[in-house]
Amino acid sequence: MPVATYLKEIDKDSSNLIKALQTVQKHEGFISDENLKELAEYFSMPPVEVEGVVSFYAQFKRSKPGQFIISVCDGTACHIKGSDLVKNWITEETGIESGETDDEGVFSVETVACLGCCSLAPVMAVNGKVHGNLSRKKVQKTLRQYREEAHND
Amino acid sequence: MSNIKLKIDEQEYSAEQGQTILEVAEDNGIEIPTMCHNGRISQTTSCFVCVVKNKETGQFMPSCSTRVDDGMEIEVESDDVFEMRQSALNLLLSEHIGDCEAPCTIACPAHAQVEEYIREGKNGNFTKALEIIKRKIPLPMSIGRVCPRFCEQDCRRNVVDEGQPVAINDFKRLAADKEFDNYLEDLPELQDSKVAVVGGGPAGISAAYYLRREGIRSDIYEKMPKAGGMLQYGIPKFRLPKHFVDKEIQHFDKMGGVDIFTNQELGKDIQLEQLKKDYDAVVLAVGSWKPGSMYAEGEELADGGIKWLENVARNDFSAENPGKTIVVGGGNTAMDCVRTAVRLGSDEVYCYYRRTEKQMPAEQIEIDEAKEEGVQFKFLSQPTKVRKENGQLIVTFKKMELGEKDASGRRRPIPIEGSEYDVKADTVIAAIGQKTIAPEGSKTNKWGDIEINEENGYMADNVFAAGDCVTGPATVVEAVAAGRNAALGIEAFLRGEEYEKPYEINVSRGHWQSLSKDDLVYLKELTDRKREKLEYIPLEKRKNSFEEITHTFTEEAIAREGERCLECSCTDKHDCKLKDYSEQYLAGPEAITGEKRVYEADTRHPDIIIDRNKCIKCGTCVKVCKEVVNESLLDFRERGFDTNITTAFGEQLPLSCADCGECIKECPVGALDWRNKERAR
Amino acid sequence: MIKRIKVGTASCGIAAGADEVYDYLSKNVTDHDVVEVGCIGHCYAEPLVEVETEDRSYFFENVEPTEEDLKNILDVGEEKRLTFRKERKDKELLKVSRLAGRIVPTSLQEYKENGGYQALEKALEMDPDNVVEEVKNSGLRGRGGGGFPTGIKWGLLAAKEDETKILICNADEGDPGAFMDKSLMECVPHQVMEGMLIAAHATGASEVFIYVRAEYPRAIEHLTTAIDQIIENKINVLNGKEIGIQVKEGAGAFVCGEETAMIHSLEGKRGMPRFRPPYPTDDGYKGHPTVINNVESYANVPVIISEGADEYSKVGTEGSKGTKLFALAGDLEYTGIVEVPMGITIGEIVYDIGGAEKGSVKAVQIGGPSGGCIPAKHFDTPVDYDSLNSLGAIMGSGGLIVIGNNRCMVETARYFLDFTARESCGKCTFCRVGNMRLLETLERITKGNGTQADIDLLEDLGPKIVDGSLCGLGQTAPNPVLSTLRFFKDEYKAHVEDKVCPALVCNDLVEIEIDHDTCIECMACVKTCPVDAISDDIEVDVDTCTRCNSCIEVCPVDAISRIPLRGE
Repeated sequence: MPVATYLKEIDKDSSNLIKALQTVQKHEGFISDENLKELAEYFSMPPVEVEGVVSFYAQFKRSKPGQFIISVCDGTACHIKGSDLVKNWITEETGIESGETDDEGVFSVETVACLGCCSLAPVMAVNGKVHGNLSRKKVQKTLRQYREEAHND
Repeated sequence: MSNIKLKIDEQEYSAEQGQTILEVAEDNGIEIPTMCHNGRISQTTSCFVCVVKNKETGQFMPSCSTRVDDGMEIEVESDDVFEMRQSALNLLLSEHIGDCEAPCTIACPAHAQVEEYIREGKNGNFTKALEIIKRKIPLPMSIGRVCPRFCEQDCRRNVVDEGQPVAINDFKRLAADKEFDNYLEDLPELQDSKVAVVGGGPAGISAAYYLRREGIRSDIYEKMPKAGGMLQYGIPKFRLPKHFVDKEIQHFDKMGGVDIFTNQELGKDIQLEQLKKDYDAVVLAVGSWKPGSMYAEGEELADGGIKWLENVARNDFSAENPGKTIVVGGGNTAMDCVRTAVRLGSDEVYCYYRRTEKQMPAEQIEIDEAKEEGVQFKFLSQPTKVRKENGQLIVTFKKMELGEKDASGRRRPIPIEGSEYDVKADTVIAAIGQKTIAPEGSKTNKWGDIEINEENGYMADNVFAAGDCVTGPATVVEAVAAGRNAALGIEAFLRGEEYEKPYEINVSRGHWQSLSKDDLVYLKELTDRKREKLEYIPLEKRKNSFEEITHTFTEEAIAREGERCLECSCTDKHDCKLKDYSEQYLAGPEAITGEKRVYEADTRHPDIIIDRNKCIKCGTCVKVCKEVVNESLLDFRERGFDTNITTAFGEQLPLSCADCGECIKECPVGALDWRNKERAR
Repeated sequence: MIKRIKVGTASCGIAAGADEVYDYLSKNVTDHDVVEVGCIGHCYAEPLVEVETEDRSYFFENVEPTEEDLKNILDVGEEKRLTFRKERKDKELLKVSRLAGRIVPTSLQEYKENGGYQALEKALEMDPDNVVEEVKNSGLRGRGGGGFPTGIKWGLLAAKEDETKILICNADEGDPGAFMDKSLMECVPHQVMEGMLIAAHATGASEVFIYVRAEYPRAIEHLTTAIDQIIENKINVLNGKEIGIQVKEGAGAFVCGEETAMIHSLEGKRGMPRFRPPYPTDDGYKGHPTVINNVESYANVPVIISEGADEYSKVGTEGSKGTKLFALAGDLEYTGIVEVPMGITIGEIVYDIGGAEKGSVKAVQIGGPSGGCIPAKHFDTPVDYDSLNSLGAIMGSGGLIVIGNNRCMVETARYFLDFTARESCGKCTFCRVGNMRLLETLERITKGNGTQADIDLLEDLGPKIVDGSLCGLGQTAPNPVLSTLRFFKDEYKAHVEDKVCPALVCNDLVEIEIDHDTCIECMACVKTCPVDAISDDIEVDVDTCTRCNSCIEVCPVDAISRIPLRGE
């Protein structure tokens, strides 16, 4: 879908670029080259500059992510409570590492700085929902539930 | 506009309110290095090479952006500031990938500007090529024939055509053969000072030559009837016809300011103490002529290799047939001996070497040519005894086997007990290296060679030394490099200064053996041409005469061969701020090391190369394109250590960029440049 | 008599399962209101349910969506009752976070009933200059890390005569390990907004932006709701002047906590800082005069105006007034958020409030990746801006991670460097390349490949990165390395000289040992090992083992342990 349909509310001032990118990503899941060119046109900006902005911010994805995005928290508290292990457990369960999307398009894994749930470390979020006090079993159980959900869709 | 006062390195200056420290410094002729500051664009403040220190607060400040205040006290040249700048440069170098200088030039002991003379030769500009060559190589006709070609061993063409580097030395040979007669360098006026050069071999000639280029006279004292040293009396003429050597020596007549006195032996005809008094400086370049020992009983019955060759040369290469000849040794002198013996009529010539062919120090081509000429090789044999029975020479050899590696990295030969055997011969030649006979009054090291300051060839008092007598037997190109270095040392010495080799950095992609085709940057389309072959005279003629065995390349062959050069050095090497400042601040690519981000160089545009591996991320190009040219074709990507600058979607730059080139002009390094090196310069 | 039941559904609560508890309670409780509130700071006890009766409240901890727990709650039973420990109650001073977790965050009415927007009303009756004066007199210093006096900043903006003046709320709480701002936004969004509106009145700002991390969806949701209510009720019309309010979401860049970077980000650009001066008060958002304060700073403002600068400044030390929120995490019993008076000692926070066992703690990391480690022997240091600076740490935003004896300080420093190296914007040479080199050096050391030259490099390069960077990120990035080198050099030495990680944390210097005398041969470890490094006769293959600890976790008899790597 042309991105302009999502942008009706957004003023064409280039200060709204990041907001527009967030809106597009919310609908499309990522920012494609096509979207990026349309956004550049929308804001009358050179595409190279839009690309510069997109690539600066960790939030923006340039390829299609899985149905469920697993964000492993690597904040300080999670780190000392074993976020490295959480990453291992997730890899065991999904077969992918941080920055990857599995072949079926079910899961993407990313590492994030801090989800702000330090008291429940180690934590991960799946599509924004935070799961705390993780153990290997809990990671397995949680991800299997999501996988089931994906298969049911 | 108020006038304010500030102190820079204790000195008071006045400035306008609103000026930056850098501007004030520039106005007052104080040099502050900066990589990212550029007056044509808005302020960047990223490189931190321009830091200065606020004396009061102890804080470092980027001078390009910090505005002056009344009463400010700034350190611009203190040790702290130097160290900060050095660290900034070290960090930039630690992520820099490229080749400041081409590997051939780095490998050449004389650091001849290979890529440049190849380009001139390829384009048929042989006078220019010769001019470039002679900046570092005073004897191109000779070296163009006998050099062991260190340059070719490191030539990157090997990545594309392994074992077929660019035939670099042949460019020297053709340029010299073609243009030498007509060539005369631009020379400065002669000064009053005068130098004595003891020894008319490559090192001595080189010293005299480069002294002359500095305007300093010299007298060369040569103990033999003719100057030239090893070129004249060591290397046989089938490899180096003597009229070339004579021609190169006679060139001094054209230059003026250099006189050669032959048959003058140090310690006999001339005395060092007297020379020291009569001249402003003395260069000892007496070579390394004393034959080494075989450590075999009766070895006095054998001829010393170098001495034997000398005698043949003195006799204009018309000696008696040596009969069945045994040459002991595996170096180039041994090869010269066996091949000379063939040419003198012997049809039974043997080379005995105590290790195997792989370990022979001689050049492979010499070994191969000797084999072609019928020389037979016997490996893993060491002579233990030479004796004469009834007028017949008999050599006893012991068989060897290879053991552990020794200090030279070669496997050590170990004698096999009870394996002795005898071989009869008419002539036995021991070609196992030479030793230096250091002149009386010289400083020597534990090998008996003269000891000098390697920076400038200085020995003691007003005496310098260069060549084999310093290094022990080495190559002609090493000798001329040393001679030139001594000349520079003397030039400074005569001004009352001490010469030091300039600190130079070289970022390198690495040796070709560690690289693949994809690691290289191709400024022009890669040709699949193979190395041009040297043309030999017929084998029979080779075996029966001392005629030069190869022909000089034709101009057409050289033009084709030149296409093979990959032009490895950086397009920006003459104008790179990172290199210049790093040398000024003694920074280097090895000081801080770590991971580097590797990008493919973009050579899609016919005229422009974008090589992000060299980018320092100052963004000058981004701003020049946007603010000066009013385009926006480049921008930053990613962040942190992954930051890089590229085009939209990594597409090729428009062809019209070739008409602008503003970004190229302002890029402080070689990240954006013209693909054509002449244009780049 | 139960008035209503509150479930703490701030994001910490949700992460512990408060959503399910809330759903369960609202479905099954018919007689009373069940409402969602924020977080009272006792995160260790989540999910947490408060039962409000006529005269007092009862708190239940670790509540599960079960019939049993439901019954217990409705009966106000003794099970799972949260006790407020005296040690903590005595040390805490709840002023800024007074309402956090006690009211429904998105209820304007509840906020007002509890005194909300009275400070704004009071301020609007005051001359703007007097409001600035009041904030100056309160001694409030920026709670975001720098500690610059808030009132002075406001004064600079107030002095500008531009028509458009901008106020920004820095809600880009990027320090891993800090979550106080998130909590304030989630729990008392109106209080933050009230502070901003008072600031707008005081400085004459015409527009306010709240720059929030995208990772805080609930905070964004609550702020957005609060703003809608404010606009609907015209609370943003200050003495006739309407103030524009916008929430802007960050997009995942720690460096945007730096004010010039944040401004660039708000302008839709790459969040790269620039050289100052010009300061934002002269040249800020789109060139307009701009002031940026942090969430907690704004949340302090209503308190200051309500009780007056004199009263406010009675709390704290000479140079650091008022209270400070800290996010407590790491190796301690009671994690969560605490509000304490400035000047309290680190020991009081760690031991009394946090319940950490004395002797089990090696250090605290304060100020996140920009801060430093403070070893236990300095725990009598008072918490104020200047004392912390003198130890090479910083107040930072208030993340306080307790590091137990079983943690490796070199690895901790490596962790922070890994974070900052990734978050560097890439502009300054020292920060872009230097931090990467520090990180690589630390990696060499933790992998057992370090040498004395590596320690020398850290000591040489670290201070230069501090000196040679434009913004706070680069200027503070080496702090974790430099402070651990200062206080825990022996740990570095052990890694380098003896190739030993004393805390047995660094995997490359550790191996897994099974004590066969204790082992009951249950084979749990063999089955659980993800890389099949434990053979059927229960021996660990050192080369295959990834030191993932899975075997240690499953061993029922604690027969498996980490030991220093044995040499060949």
